[in-house]
Amino acid sequence: MFKNWKTGSAVIGLLLAGGVSAVADVSIGILIPSSGKGASYGQQQLNAINMFMEKYSDIGGKAGKLKLVIYDTRGENTEAINLSRKLMDSDQVEAIIGPQFSAEAEVAFPLAVRGETTMITPMAAKAGIATANRPWAFRFALTTENVYRPLLDAWLKKQSTPIKKVVILMDGKDAVSSFDGKTVFPALLKDRGIEVLDTVSFQTGDIDYSAQVTRAKSLNPDGIVVSALYNEAAHTVSELRKQGMNQPIVAGVGVNDPRFIQIGGAATEGVMAASDFFAENPKPAVAAWVKDYEERFKQKPSNASGQMYDTLYLMRECIKKTEVTGADFKADRVKLRDCWANMKDLDAPLMGPTSIDKNGDGTRVPTVLVVKGPNFVVAQ
Amino acid sequence: MLAQQLANGVMLGSTYALVAIGYTLIFGVLRLLHLAHGEVFMVGAFAGLQALLWWQFGPLAALIVGLIASAVIGMLLELVAFRPIRKRGNSHLAPIVSTIGAGLVLQEVMTKTFGAEQTPFPSALSRVIYNLGIISVTGSQIFILSVAIVTMIALHLFVTRTRYGIAMRATSENLQVAAILGINVNTVILVTFGVASALGGIAGVLVGLNFNAISPFMGVEMGIKGMAVMLIGGLGSIYGAMIGGLLLGIVEVMSVAYLVSSLRDAFAFGLMILILILRPRGLFQTGIRTER
Repeated sequence: MFKNWKTGSAVIGLLLAGGVSAVADVSIGILIPSSGKGASYGQQQLNAINMFMEKYSDIGGKAGKLKLVIYDTRGENTEAINLSRKLMDSDQVEAIIGPQFSAEAEVAFPLAVRGETTMITPMAAKAGIATANRPWAFRFALTTENVYRPLLDAWLKKQSTPIKKVVILMDGKDAVSSFDGKTVFPALLKDRGIEVLDTVSFQTGDIDYSAQVTRAKSLNPDGIVVSALYNEAAHTVSELRKQGMNQPIVAGVGVNDPRFIQIGGAATEGVMAASDFFAENPKPAVAAWVKDYEERFKQKPSNASGQMYDTLYLMRECIKKTEVTGADFKADRVKLRDCWANMKDLDAPLMGPTSIDKNGDGTRVPTVLVVKGPNFVVAQ
Repeated sequence: MLAQQLANGVMLGSTYALVAIGYTLIFGVLRLLHLAHGEVFMVGAFAGLQALLWWQFGPLAALIVGLIASAVIGMLLELVAFRPIRKRGNSHLAPIVSTIGAGLVLQEVMTKTFGAEQTPFPSALSRVIYNLGIISVTGSQIFILSVAIVTMIALHLFVTRTRYGIAMRATSENLQVAAILGINVNTVILVTFGVASALGGIAGVLVGLNFNAISPFMGVEMGIKGMAVMLIGGLGSIYGAMIGGLLLGIVEVMSVAYLVSSLRDAFAFGLMILILILRPRGLFQTGIRTER
């Protein structure tokens, strides 16, 4: 049965309809890249969808079953546009979960506004994509700003000597790292009364970081902010320690990968970061889910699978709460939109109580992590 | 900070110099570009890593293994990608294509074997930091600098004092005349490839030791930098490559330190263009014209 879910690139519309019933099913459209660019994200999300549907396909109450209409966008904008139209016009879904990439969301979200259908992306990261398409577009993932706010607070609180001035080291070539390093971190630091002495950049793929680090060292900061992907961040941290800079380090979302610690080795000890989904989280609900996932699919669940699972869960909660029945899809769409727009601390099984802010972006408390030995652990 | 940045530049530049010397040796004898030399450098780094992982003999053993592996690959490339083409007449274009091909093959093989991601390089050297007045250096940096200096002195002695070195210089003066004078040109070329590639291998291990991670694609950028250094120093000039390498390293570091890091390569290659405008044959002029 479950094999069917994964089939190929074309239409995977699957009815989990348990025969004919008096009430209509509630259909939710799903757009994922199960082939092409980012296919691994799509596959991991399909895994999460399988696990979810096995447990939660019955909605209960007045509604029938939850029915998912899953299409593969191949990570392409034109597909995202065509399939969004198809889901809204011919499949007449109650709401759409997807698309997954920021570029896709940027072109599909305006269609959601025009088609008056709730569209929520589980993982697209770019700032402002939901804001530009009020009131129908939402994002489950935390923007980097929402991740860094609690991270910086935890980092600053942990220090015995207060941090007054920092240097930001960032990858100027990677879009997210550079945006965070130039815009997000400086604004958050300024709010906390911390002076940014300098923003020093390197490029993705660099091997020599000595010049940047010497420049940072000459400014004698109290702390260091590293905004880069795990490779470059690991090299930067190694070089910082090599040049005898022992200041506390806080890092952006790019380091959330075990390879950061593998490459950086002992130098990464104590580096703080934060993650929305953390597979090694000791919380029982997360640990049990991760174990189940690993047994089924013989791999560790990623951010992408966790985000899909929780988005589905919250969607189902909304369906229950607003008593959507699938009988009148136009009315249902409005109900679901209002449920998402007013979401306040609705408990997602893996990532915890989630709210939606005025920009349509998800907010919740991310897991603040610290490197301890060969692993990230939850910071106390 | 200036002194420390100069030291950083010398560290980086010494690895550029080693790679560039390899280029220039081969160009000297064959008048041909060896576009897989960056990949030979990469193979040396991986071989050195394996030595560190499997036998744990320390950095010196890693150097020797890296050096031998690269020398073998380099000589193999001469036999596979250069010699057959040379025998069929003097095409300048064919070896360029054949070495690009050979380089891609090496990259793919290493990607298949070790993965496309960066591989961490164990820090075999102490993380002790020595404060020498205004600059501080680590144990590994001292090791790297001494290896680079020793290698360059050894190379100088090799080309000036040994029979093969002298034959190599004669061949680079004029291949036909050298052959007429009874020098076994094919052997000399093979030895040149061996020596040049061994230097590349040493550079690979040094880069791994200093920067702690290597990848199958690390040779691409290094190859381009090595070629630029060869042009800056003067085609075929060993001493030009040494000075040119240091110069490029220092310019790169200084542009990051005092200007904008995103323009680092622009400054590096701008310097190359400037030098070629002022001195078309490079800093150390040789008989080889760039327009050849």
